[in-house]
Amino acid sequence: MLARLIISFAYFLDSNKIYKKVKGFVYDLLDNPRSSMKSYFDVLIIGLVLLTVAIFIYDISNHLPYQFGLIEDFAVSVFIFEWIGRFWTSANIRLLIIRYHKKMLELDQEPKLSKILKIIIKQKIRYILSPMAIIDLLAILPVYRPFRVLRIFLIFRLFKFFRYTKSLNSFFKVLSDKKFEFEFLFILGVFTVFLSSTIMYTFEGVGNNPHINSYMDAIYWSIITISTVGYGDITPVTMMGKIVTAFLVGGGFMILVLATSIVTNALSQKIDIIKENKLLAEAHKLTRLIVIIGFGRMGQILAEDLHKDQKRFIVVDINKENIAKAGHQGYLHMQADASNYAIINSLVFENNVEKVIVLTENDALNLSILLTIKAQEKNLDVIVRANSYNNIKKFKIAKADHVIFPYETVAEVAVEYIGNSVKFDAIDNILIQESDFTIDGIDILEGSSFIGSCIDDLGLDDLNITTIAILKNGNIRNFIFNPDHDEYEFEANDTLIVVGKVEYINKIGNEIRRQFA
Amino acid sequence: MKKVVIFGYTKSGKEIAKLLKDGDFELEIIDEDPMQVADANIDGYFARHTTLDDDKIFEDIGIGDNVDALFCTSNNDSLNLFVTLSARNIDKNLKILTEIKKMEDEKKMILAGANRTISPHSVGAAKAYRMINKPRVSRVLDIFSKIENKISIIELEVRKGSLYDGKNFKNINLSSSNDLILLGLLDIKRSNEFIFFSRGVSHKIRPGDTMVVLGSKKNLKKFKIEVDTIK
Repeated sequence: MLARLIISFAYFLDSNKIYKKVKGFVYDLLDNPRSSMKSYFDVLIIGLVLLTVAIFIYDISNHLPYQFGLIEDFAVSVFIFEWIGRFWTSANIRLLIIRYHKKMLELDQEPKLSKILKIIIKQKIRYILSPMAIIDLLAILPVYRPFRVLRIFLIFRLFKFFRYTKSLNSFFKVLSDKKFEFEFLFILGVFTVFLSSTIMYTFEGVGNNPHINSYMDAIYWSIITISTVGYGDITPVTMMGKIVTAFLVGGGFMILVLATSIVTNALSQKIDIIKENKLLAEAHKLTRLIVIIGFGRMGQILAEDLHKDQKRFIVVDINKENIAKAGHQGYLHMQADASNYAIINSLVFENNVEKVIVLTENDALNLSILLTIKAQEKNLDVIVRANSYNNIKKFKIAKADHVIFPYETVAEVAVEYIGNSVKFDAIDNILIQESDFTIDGIDILEGSSFIGSCIDDLGLDDLNITTIAILKNGNIRNFIFNPDHDEYEFEANDTLIVVGKVEYINKIGNEIRRQFA
Repeated sequence: MKKVVIFGYTKSGKEIAKLLKDGDFELEIIDEDPMQVADANIDGYFARHTTLDDDKIFEDIGIGDNVDALFCTSNNDSLNLFVTLSARNIDKNLKILTEIKKMEDEKKMILAGANRTISPHSVGAAKAYRMINKPRVSRVLDIFSKIENKISIIELEVRKGSLYDGKNFKNINLSSSNDLILLGLLDIKRSNEFIFFSRGVSHKIRPGDTMVVLGSKKNLKKFKIEVDTIK
């Protein structure tokens, strides 16, 4: 009974627009990395943390008027809202319940309450136990009076910064990759401290040394010595103690050196990846991104042109030297193997990508990249470079939107140079220059009132637009060159290929489309 | 008959040979790599192997005699430079087009005597750039290149005294008289700017301008004779 109630409530929420809108808003505010609101909220949180911690420190030795307590209250309410909001948006339980219900329906079984509760609890517990959520909670708890002792935890609010500083996060991630080394180091350190302090305690703890009165003193001495700090408040007095100290200083030095080298090593190994992740995150924020795969000579020239045009693009290449060049130029870049699905996924599918240009010198690689993209996103524009004439066809079969075969164009330009008839590819250079004029297609849409009328009726002559050709029903094979102005009658889906002023061509196109508005 | 020499049966050289195969040219391929020479022979061209250590080879080929144009398309930049320089030394009027790998080499090749340089990388990049920047025009040009055998495009230089010398755009109507379409004029000598043809624009054709005309091969041939006729 209760199970049914929960399920129907899940369906109700799923169909409720206001619920979704509010949840979407909260998500945008707190967690959506693409939302602009989030950055304002982040700044607010950081400001509140700094302010409350500053008040806390000042308040230790000075007494502030009660108004400052209001700031604390406000900060805490924001923190509570933040925690609850994150708790709420951390998982879409309604969807999980609906999915579970669907599955049960397919299996023809009654949904079980225990199972539903398990789904809910599992998801929410996972959030509560996540390190960031714990930090958030620690920032709130000291306000509760019985926990006043925990006032010192207020300082933990500073940990909230971790959520906002990606570099710090990646730094810890790098260190966690070296877990094994650190574990080893830790055990070694504990072992050394234990051994040396026990020896020290045995020889000097029995009254020889006035400063060592307990085992804790020995451990304290050992840690101060091993860390090479050496305050000198406790010094060995017996011969044996001095020998142990000498070994301990040597061992401590070794451990310190080892720890330093581990951290440096890990950082130098991962620094490129950290930087790359940062760049990827930057790319994630951009819309209408152009992805250039392959940063050889052709890619470099293209990137230069796009850069001049202030287009947004990211360069991917597997070659370290090539990618370093992209870095020097200040382009977004990533050193990665583009034949890898995961790379394409994080780069192309998860970003707002407008076009992908595949320019490597390896046709097999180009084809594999093309197919990876087209298999998932049929409508994404992909321009591919062919390096061999025989492969052009293969790229077309794989549904490349454009294939560039530079050597053929080179040949066309060369042959044009010695005065033969010219191919279109060779002439497109001039046709595409910046100008008020353009060549374009005008589509006679199905259902348009212009069907049945002729070119003169469209008013092309008055606007000085020349019709070069008509593709009947949009079909390239069915092609009429220089059509007769008052005899040819438009059919549905005809495409007119025209030359004229850009604004006039747009005007005609708009006129045709307006009929459908 | 004009003779054309291709130095370097590379990717570009291959494509040039393919385009020239059916033209009215005597074609000869030279290469310093015997494998490439063999390739060219298999593809049905007359090709010869040369190590280029002697200027005599250029005379043998006919540079300075009946060779009209030389394409240096080898993969080796310094060899291209060497051949360009040597050929220019022999024949001042030879048309030399040299392939470059880096745009920085353009000046060097021109100094060596090439009339024009071309880089496959910049050609390809420019093409990709156009597809990004002007997708609609690219689409139309794509369509044209697919129906290439039905219509063709031609560049015609208007010489002094030609029927079209001094004619204004307003008075030209090729579409009804010749079943051709005049796309525009290329002002090669002055600014290399392309002026689109439009009857709304008053523009006078001057000698040296190049007309870019679209139409069937047959009509284009007729029109070429018309333009070349001197009054």
